[in-house]
Amino acid sequence: MSDSGPVSVVVIDDHPAILAGIEAWYAASPRPITVVAAGDSVREAWTEPGSTADVVVLDLQLGQGGPAFGSLRRLVDAGRQVVVYSMRDDDKTALNCLDLGAATFLTKSEGRQHLVEATLAAADDRPYMPPALAGALGTNARPDRPQLSVREENVLIEWFQSESKELVAQRLGLSVRTVNSYLDRVRIKYANVGRPARTKASLVARAVQDGLVDVDDL
Amino acid sequence: MDGPGSSERLLNRTLERYGVWLRSTVVALCSALGVVSADRADMPLATALLAPALLACGVRLYTLRRPLPSAALGMVSLLWLADGSVVVLTGLSQPVLGGDVAEMMVEAIIGICIITFQHEWATRPWAGAALGVLGAAACELGDILSGHSPDAMPLLRLAVLGALSRAAYLIVRARARAADRSAALSAAARREAEVAAARRAAEREYLATLHDTASATLLMVSQGDGRDWSWLPARARQDLEALSAVPAFGTGSVDLAALLACVPAGEGPARVRLTTTIDSPLVIPSGPALAIFNGVREAVSNVSRHAGVREAELRAWRADDDVVVELTDAGRGFDPESVPPRRRGIKGSIIGRMQAVGGSAAITSLPGNGTRVQWRWHAPAQQLPAGTLQPPRARARTALVQLIRKQLLHGAQLAALLISLFSQFTLSLHRLVSYQDVYRPAWAQTAAFGCLAAVAGIGAFYLLRGKQIPPPVRWCSLGAVLAVSVIGAFTLPPDRLAGAADWSFGLVGWYALFLLADLRLRWFAAFLGVHVGITVIVVLLAGAPTTAEAIGLGIRAISDCGFQLSVGFLLTRLLHGTAPAAGIAAEQEEELRTRERIQEDMQRDHKDRYRALTATTVPLLVGLGHGVLSPHDEEVRLRCGVEAARMRRLFAESDAVSDALLNEVRACIEVAEHQGVTVSLAVRGRPAEVPVSVRRELVDPVAVTLGRTRSTARVTVVWTPGAVRVSVVSEDGATRQTAEADKQATDVQVTVVRTTRGASVWVEASWRQPALARVA
Repeated sequence: MSDSGPVSVVVIDDHPAILAGIEAWYAASPRPITVVAAGDSVREAWTEPGSTADVVVLDLQLGQGGPAFGSLRRLVDAGRQVVVYSMRDDDKTALNCLDLGAATFLTKSEGRQHLVEATLAAADDRPYMPPALAGALGTNARPDRPQLSVREENVLIEWFQSESKELVAQRLGLSVRTVNSYLDRVRIKYANVGRPARTKASLVARAVQDGLVDVDDL
Repeated sequence: MDGPGSSERLLNRTLERYGVWLRSTVVALCSALGVVSADRADMPLATALLAPALLACGVRLYTLRRPLPSAALGMVSLLWLADGSVVVLTGLSQPVLGGDVAEMMVEAIIGICIITFQHEWATRPWAGAALGVLGAAACELGDILSGHSPDAMPLLRLAVLGALSRAAYLIVRARARAADRSAALSAAARREAEVAAARRAAEREYLATLHDTASATLLMVSQGDGRDWSWLPARARQDLEALSAVPAFGTGSVDLAALLACVPAGEGPARVRLTTTIDSPLVIPSGPALAIFNGVREAVSNVSRHAGVREAELRAWRADDDVVVELTDAGRGFDPESVPPRRRGIKGSIIGRMQAVGGSAAITSLPGNGTRVQWRWHAPAQQLPAGTLQPPRARARTALVQLIRKQLLHGAQLAALLISLFSQFTLSLHRLVSYQDVYRPAWAQTAAFGCLAAVAGIGAFYLLRGKQIPPPVRWCSLGAVLAVSVIGAFTLPPDRLAGAADWSFGLVGWYALFLLADLRLRWFAAFLGVHVGITVIVVLLAGAPTTAEAIGLGIRAISDCGFQLSVGFLLTRLLHGTAPAAGIAAEQEEELRTRERIQEDMQRDHKDRYRALTATTVPLLVGLGHGVLSPHDEEVRLRCGVEAARMRRLFAESDAVSDALLNEVRACIEVAEHQGVTVSLAVRGRPAEVPVSVRRELVDPVAVTLGRTRSTARVTVVWTPGAVRVSVVSEDGATRQTAEADKQATDVQVTVVRTTRGASVWVEASWRQPALARVA
């Protein structure tokens, strides 16, 4: 897929207002994003026309049940690019989703700023790191976590704190571009560990191809 | 602790009294006996010698009642001379009176004097010892002047008496000291607890006062704009006064009715019309009265703030032993269960204050149904006679008295055992060996000697291990001692009874004393009666004794058993008079010390707290109070907002929550949200324990930055292994950054970094600690 072509999305959320909001954000995107299907059940992603969408936007909390980690796993195993879009704002959920192979993890309070970009990045196999996820990765103390440099950890945490790459860049004396590359590198390191998934592999492959990371670094 | 403890002090005093009284009695009785039995011609000279001796005893008795200006050396040496003159005069009277009775009398007086001097002069052992030597010399002088050849035996006997007396004192004193030591230890522990409780109560009261005064005022200023502020200067000055007042540790009483009559009804538009029905007078201690008054004041301001009405009813009355105060309004009410834990108006100002002084406060409210706040104070002091202690105190004192009694008893038993053993194996053994041919049969006396030794051994077995003698052992031993008394009486020729050959007559009493020490005196007296009675019966069975024999027996009986009985009496005094008195004295001293400590600590705490405010709140209140700072000035309002947020954080410090840091951050956020700021809060990582001083530094930038924010802000708390980072980003904080700098970070451990970009400002405080203990 080219990096400027139109992107099709299936949105799974049980709240109509949220669905409406998402469609409005996508409509404002300079690069066309089409919501081909939307609904309150994961079935939308498995049936026509949702089954052909480039990206799945998945609310983790559907109905009364617990977080839909099982649905996420099945979608990832089917090779789908999933953007998790959740009310839950805690480290554990974010890390679990990433480990299962989600393209990215977004909290609902971050939607306005980050959903469009996150969707496009997922469609292109590019890494995307919203602040809530950065906070989770920056404080991750699980034994199987990838080795991060002090600078990488700092960038993650400060991005989480300030939600402004300009502020982070200013504080650390870097350019915004460099800040971005630190965040991308961390995302690739995470894609490279834990449970293997095709989405993770394509993320790494794309990163190597784009020169974001060196093969030797991994 | 300074000086001797209360048990030791009272022991010394009791012994001194006992010594002087015993000596004076013996001197009076014996000298009267001596003068009566003397030749008519010698009487004036004998009287001239013995009357001054009696007078000296009288002086000594007088000083017991009215102690001399204590340490004056001159007075002490005068007393010493008076005591010395008693023995010298008695010694000199021996040649004047002449005869065996005189010798016996002088020996008895000087013997008792030497014993009692060791107790009278217990705290000046050298003076006591010197008096002992003087007494022995006087006794010897009297013998020589009477024409006897110098004899070492009486001297040796006197030396033994003095040494035993001193040793007995030392043993009992050691136990008294042990009692004082353990009493001091437990008292210190109790004192620490009481001081800590008082400090906590003062801290709670301080926070409640801060909440009701400065915090409320500053919050109002920070929120308001363009309203009537005419009431503000007076209120700010009142707040300052309330904050600078040293916490009262008062015990007086006040009329609650009079206090409630001046509950402020609020100012300006916040005025509440109070309908009052107050029974007058309601005199209660000032602590609860102030707690109720301050609580009512806060509740009235709550009516105007939250209830949505401008009327309330205040009632106060006495119900049995309780004083009840009730404030009701017909306002919109609320659900008490749903009040967030950080809201302190009810928890701190109303309920907490009342609990701190031992009362209670309850709030009844339902949404839409008005609110009723009720304070209740139970008056225990009026029920109990003055001086009655609270139960825990009384228990502590009873335990203390028992401890002192136990130690004194143990010491006395050890001393009696020492006297028994020593007398048995010196004087008595010497007599037993010397008079073997007099006893009929001799083996019975020897067996009796062994029997007493066995009793001593069994007693020592228990006492030396610090245990009481078990009752069965006690009664068996006592039976054995009585058997010795019988054997002694029946295996001696009646004319030798109680004489030099009767080694057991004076000894048996000491054994009975240590066996019966813990029982009432009448047991011991009864035993001595039986013991003397046996001897008397044996003597009477042998035919009527001559007058001289009868007098000799009488003097023996009185000087041995009478003395032992007096020691028994002394012991009773020690256990039932001295021990409780020592307990009370110790408790009073302890209470005084506790009060002093509380006073000291509370004043220091108060100074510390006030000093903390002088950098921040005090200048604001002073400025507002004197009109230098105007509430119309936006900068002033911002500063007030910052201080209000800082205070909310301070109040949150005492909340019992697992994540104290987050709780304090939330307290600051609530103040900002109250001002209409949109704040998002996000937390990452696992929380850990952070010391309160570090928390202050970490959260302060949040309070300051949020106080200067009017639009939106983001607050985050990030826990990484070994560090915690608190950050706040304000969208518009940079525009109001002018006048007031951040509070200077006094704690170097906390690093504060600030980044400004356009209107937004980002402040992060972080604290590194390698061993960050995780909260579960």
